[in-house]
Amino acid sequence: MTGRAYIAATGLISPLGRGTALNGRALQDKLGGLRPLACFATPDGPSLPAGEILGTLDPSAPSRTHALARLAAGQILETHSRPPDAVVLGTTTGGLSRTEILLAQGVTDPADYRFHGVNTVAEDLARLSGCSGPVLTISTACSSGAVAIGLALEMIRRGQARRVLAGGVDCLCRLTYYGFRSLLLIDPLGARPLDRERKGMSVAEGAGLLLLTADPPAEPGCVLLGAGLSCDASHPTQPHPDGLGARKAMERALADAGLGPGEIDYINLHGTGTPDNDLAEAKAVHQLFGPSSPPASSVKGAWGHPLAAAGAMEAALATDCITAQRIPPTAGLLHPDPRLNLNSPSASRTVPVERILSNSFGFGGNNAALVVGITPGGAHVPAARDTALEILEWGCITGAGPTEATLAALRRGRSCSGQLPLKQVTAPLNPRSIRRLKRLPCLALALAAHICRNGAQPAPQAVCLGTGWGAMSETHSFLTRLFASDYAFPSPTDFIGSVHNAPAGQIAMHHGATGANITTSGGDYSFEQALMAADLTAAREPGPCLLLGADEAHPALTPLFDPSVSAQASLADGGGGLLVQAARVPRGEIIRPRFYRQADRPRETLEHLVQVLTEQAPLARQYGAVLAGIPAAEQDRGEAQTRIFRSLTRYGGPLISYRRFTGEFATAAAVAAVLAADLTRRGYVPAALAGGNRVALDGRGILILGLGAYVTAMEVVRR
Amino acid sequence: MSDLIDELKIKILEALDLPDVTPEEITADSELVGGDLGLDSIDILEIVMMLEKEYGVRIDNRELGAQVLVSLKTLAAYVEANQAAPAQ
Repeated sequence: MTGRAYIAATGLISPLGRGTALNGRALQDKLGGLRPLACFATPDGPSLPAGEILGTLDPSAPSRTHALARLAAGQILETHSRPPDAVVLGTTTGGLSRTEILLAQGVTDPADYRFHGVNTVAEDLARLSGCSGPVLTISTACSSGAVAIGLALEMIRRGQARRVLAGGVDCLCRLTYYGFRSLLLIDPLGARPLDRERKGMSVAEGAGLLLLTADPPAEPGCVLLGAGLSCDASHPTQPHPDGLGARKAMERALADAGLGPGEIDYINLHGTGTPDNDLAEAKAVHQLFGPSSPPASSVKGAWGHPLAAAGAMEAALATDCITAQRIPPTAGLLHPDPRLNLNSPSASRTVPVERILSNSFGFGGNNAALVVGITPGGAHVPAARDTALEILEWGCITGAGPTEATLAALRRGRSCSGQLPLKQVTAPLNPRSIRRLKRLPCLALALAAHICRNGAQPAPQAVCLGTGWGAMSETHSFLTRLFASDYAFPSPTDFIGSVHNAPAGQIAMHHGATGANITTSGGDYSFEQALMAADLTAAREPGPCLLLGADEAHPALTPLFDPSVSAQASLADGGGGLLVQAARVPRGEIIRPRFYRQADRPRETLEHLVQVLTEQAPLARQYGAVLAGIPAAEQDRGEAQTRIFRSLTRYGGPLISYRRFTGEFATAAAVAAVLAADLTRRGYVPAALAGGNRVALDGRGILILGLGAYVTAMEVVRR
Repeated sequence: MSDLIDELKIKILEALDLPDVTPEEITADSELVGGDLGLDSIDILEIVMMLEKEYGVRIDNRELGAQVLVSLKTLAAYVEANQAAPAQ
């Protein structure tokens, strides 16, 4: 069950300074990093305390978030310059700090927004580190960094990568500062976690990165022993009142590390300082650890809460706790809250620390816990169990309508491009339960409702959702109202809905899915990333996983952000999803990720793809049709890649450019996956779609290629 | 006071976009949170924002919000006592 990854190096930048050891010492000395904002003005009144990183950041970086990520990465790359095999990064802000200014100024040139996407930060790190392999972006609010590290660990266990750069980053920006203000979750005196007088958190920024390796590094250090993911499935922002989701994440992390509660020496709490979080987390700790819980503290009274970066920064800090044998005190804690009854040091302690549990929780009830420990002698990374994802059900939505309307149009070779009116999207949903939701969460909930409609299959336990752009309507509405009111009246509802993982959190609430809840965002490859996340995590769930891809087209923002949409005459959106279950001996249709690499060297990347795909058998013996996703902005490159693919494989069967039918939206690949499942079950590709002649699959599957800046491959086959 | 209660009723329904609630269904003593209206903590935050915008009444922490937003009657009393400018 268990296997570990070595932490070969760490990178950390916080409001207290740069470097992991420096932060360990600063926290020990009870230095504080909370102060009024300097990076932007607050016209609504005096700034609330925040955790800002002072000093000049890289002016060539596309945004503050990119700059912070580069600083943390630089600390690792200066001593470990060999390119990693993969980058897995958690972030919620991406290029938002720049986008906010551009939108406020009314800038309408899409070129200025090309670094808006959350995926652009991980891609920047991939360029910086020379990584051509998978680049995954996780956006699960304040658990993002920890979730990213958990997925990276699993990639190493599965042998998919031997070196992974993983972590999280977020910068201070108007949306997060005013968003948390509108939720009345900011302590006007600065965060005082665990204190009986605590009033909330302090918004902050920072970056934390780990270089995880399968092979032991030259100098023995720490290891990542395990990770646990869960979802409260109870409320969009508040933790489960009894901390059930937090407890489940911690339990899973311990089980994953092969440890019992008695073997943990220190708990690095999520400990934001909000009354609800600290109480729910303390309850979860007591339920799991009983009367003899280990020392526990929060660093968020010193750093503030750096959102997506928090879990990764705290994982980096855990290595310092173990190396220096010290536990940081909880800064800001003067009068311990007796209701929490936690064993929290008020001054730094020097104690034997060998194993640390580190918690991170976020909006959408999203929970992650990591276990970091010392290197044991002779540690190795065993291969994990090999499973495949059986497809139990599927559903999709496009301009043509829900599942069967879309599939019927596609089988006739007709376009289903467009935007289904919201009233039709929400037809299967209870109006009261969606009264605060805008288009993307409605699309996601409707997809889940269509897929789970007849209740014949077990209820989903986990959710993996890919979205290229997230909740555009909520983001637009929040910023518009914020600017129009001169920063006085931010909307709490829009802020809650603006996080990328809000739709997946809604699905969890509606379907009681308390397992892993992962939102990926990789531009045109977001669904492919969600499939990789599902493939890495589904085997740990007791029931199926809803694997989805969805995007909304927003008339103002989508043409600015998505270069493939900028030149389109009309908008298209929708998505698709599969209910999948990990099985050792799969039956029926299965879906499998087969390839994901940057297309930096056109011919070599395609040669690599073909080598991977044809390892066992020639292409034409495996697949009866190829569905190719060529984003409009990548038309020339995609067509060149198609020609190289044909010439390398001598594949002469149908190669269907599916965006012609689905329209241009980032997760059109999810609709292609549903079409592939439908056709594979039918056993043929209709003539109208195959380009003239009906193609019998004869037991062969369908290959779904993603082309353009990245080259990806997924397969749907029948067993 | 009763004029203010009627006005608050309308403004709350506008701010919350409640599809299945009519002004007649809310009385001065109706429980705002957790009662038949089914308002939750996010609705309360929207009401807090509306109060600041429409009446210049600021509620800057959740404890105060919970005390003030018991019913329309308690809310109207708080608005009357703390209003910065007369209601439009």
